[in-house]
Amino acid sequence: MKAEVVVIGSGISGLTAAALLAKKGRRVIILERNKRPGGALKRFTRRGIPFDIGFHYSGGMGKGEILRALWEYIGVWPRLVVLPFPPEGNENLRITDSGRVIRAFFSYDRLEDELQRVFPGEKQGISTYLNRIREIANTIPFFNPDLPLTPYLHDLFSPKSISLAQFLTSLIQDTDLHAVLSSPVFLYGVPPREVNLTIHASVAHPLYSGVYAIDGGGQAIVDAFLATLAEAGVDILTGQEVESVLVKENQVAGVKTSEGEICASHVIYTGHPTSLLDLVPDGIFRKAFYNRMRNLINTDSMFIVFGAIDDPDTLGDLTWANYYNIGTGLDIMNLDLRHPEKWIMINAPGRRDSNSTGASRGVLLIRMSVWDEVARFDQGVQGKRSAAYRKWKAESADKMIEQAGRLWGNAFSRIEPLAIGTPLTFRDRLGSPMGATYGVRHSMNQFSPGVRTRLPGLWLSGQGTLMAGIMGASLAGMVTAGEIESLEPLWDEVRQCR
Amino acid sequence: MISEEQVRRRVTQIMAEEFELEPELLQPDATLYEDLGLDSLDAVDMVVALEKAFGMKMTDEEAVRAVRTLGDLFEVVGRLSNQQAAKE
Ligand SMILES: Cc1cc2nc3c(=O)[nH]c(=O)nc-3n(C[C@H](O)[C@H](O)[C@H](O)COP(=O)(O)OP(=O)(O)OC[C@H]3O[C@@H](n4cnc5c(N)ncnc54)[C@H](O)[C@@H]3O)c2cc1C
Repeated sequence: MKAEVVVIGSGISGLTAAALLAKKGRRVIILERNKRPGGALKRFTRRGIPFDIGFHYSGGMGKGEILRALWEYIGVWPRLVVLPFPPEGNENLRITDSGRVIRAFFSYDRLEDELQRVFPGEKQGISTYLNRIREIANTIPFFNPDLPLTPYLHDLFSPKSISLAQFLTSLIQDTDLHAVLSSPVFLYGVPPREVNLTIHASVAHPLYSGVYAIDGGGQAIVDAFLATLAEAGVDILTGQEVESVLVKENQVAGVKTSEGEICASHVIYTGHPTSLLDLVPDGIFRKAFYNRMRNLINTDSMFIVFGAIDDPDTLGDLTWANYYNIGTGLDIMNLDLRHPEKWIMINAPGRRDSNSTGASRGVLLIRMSVWDEVARFDQGVQGKRSAAYRKWKAESADKMIEQAGRLWGNAFSRIEPLAIGTPLTFRDRLGSPMGATYGVRHSMNQFSPGVRTRLPGLWLSGQGTLMAGIMGASLAGMVTAGEIESLEPLWDEVRQCR
Repeated sequence: MISEEQVRRRVTQIMAEEFELEPELLQPDATLYEDLGLDSLDAVDMVVALEKAFGMKMTDEEAVRAVRTLGDLFEVVGRLSNQQAAKE
């Protein structure tokens, strides 16, 4: 088989890159190790209830916003039914220590009003914080598309800016407010003391500008891309793991998969950057690159209970509100291993589906998790792990359900667990080392991988290269396609779709 | 305080090992790009390797960008290491 471009991975970054390159007239093949395409966006079904894994909501889909423009340009936008969160939609943040409940609305204005009402002594700090996020967003081309992309990408991970934690402590006294303003970190996985304001703003700004669900969830996004890709003549070969990248005369020549060889002059790898090292023959990269990629620090993992409830109406406004119980202060990502269920989050993305017969009964209970919790169970293959692992999973899930009942009322304790995701599950299903939810940690303490590599024709993409989240990963696919074609001209065409 | 000589020896060793360069090429007046054959993609890997070896952060972006020769690199690494050690 032959293609011009082979894309390894069918997550949102691979789908985006493939669609853009096909639009530019390239012959593209996508290779996916799993049986079904879509990466973290896929839905799975238990007892007739569809569950989302890696997509609950996203910003960037309003008129004039960038994800919408990109998806318009690609041609998938008209295939999607986008559901804007209503004005009362919010992150319902309960602070464990004080019992305070703060509704973090998905709107700069409503958020500011609510925060100033709950924290009247911090009015000035609240305004300064929100203005600063807006100002920073205005220097990021994804939020101010009149800017060129290249200078921004060049400076993206420069260490000069201060951390979110430093910024917040310089402005605000109240530790509950520190937690509230830090809470977007759960959407990208970097603790407040380690993240610079640019990375934080690139998630917080779209969050404060309005968020959106998609009718049919992440699966609807995958299906829309598949339809567009089919029209463009892109082949997607699933159940094919790429085992190595073929190199001839110090240039990419194709890939070898579990099924055979495919010739190509460009290969885009969208999996975790550390795993790339195993695919490339020895001696291609310098030792410094191997060491850097091997030592990348990743985000932590999650423990997720995919549960069902018979009478969804008893769960109140869970459709457009996500409930969190978090700590106070800036250490909101530090997991207490003795009581890992203490801080939890609960949401129900399926309830937003218009045809919600089955989906409306699905509920997700989520908490942070780390590899240490499951390392001792890492033996045997998926589906056939030890009884001890199954017992630990079931008990951990029960504790979370009890905790939800204590925090938000009895109805929540009637959630019945149907499936459980642990760091082991995410490692095996998403191919992320130690089940890292968002892959590489975009921390001030390290440089995230770039898109280019030393091997001509070999490119990186995916959430590890730019930013976590479907917006970050889709934009990463655009940046990689742009590097192969020509970045600024592609950017020009995309931003015209605003 | 880390001495000039220590910085020179350690940087040379890291560059030889991590970029598989011949030690005799690693003279102070050797330019990173032309003489040593590094490219812009190697720059980040180099910064990461040096930060790790010296336990410091190459935060002075202007100075790092202005580095042309190995001698420039000795100077920047030595200065930042000592500045940051003094702060701790
Ligand atoms: C629990 C959870 C909740 C999330 N919630 C949200 C949310 O609400 N909103 C949001 O915006 N983001 C959310 N995210 C993040 C978002 O899902 C990801 O950032 C994004 O989907 C990553 O896309 P990607 O293309 O980089 O990677 P992936 O989707 O992981 O795709 C990579 C693909 O490459 C394949 N692959 C890897 N190596 C090989 C190989 N050698 N051969 C063949 N195939 C290979 C993998 O099988 C995989 O399908 C969430 C993530 C998780 C895990």
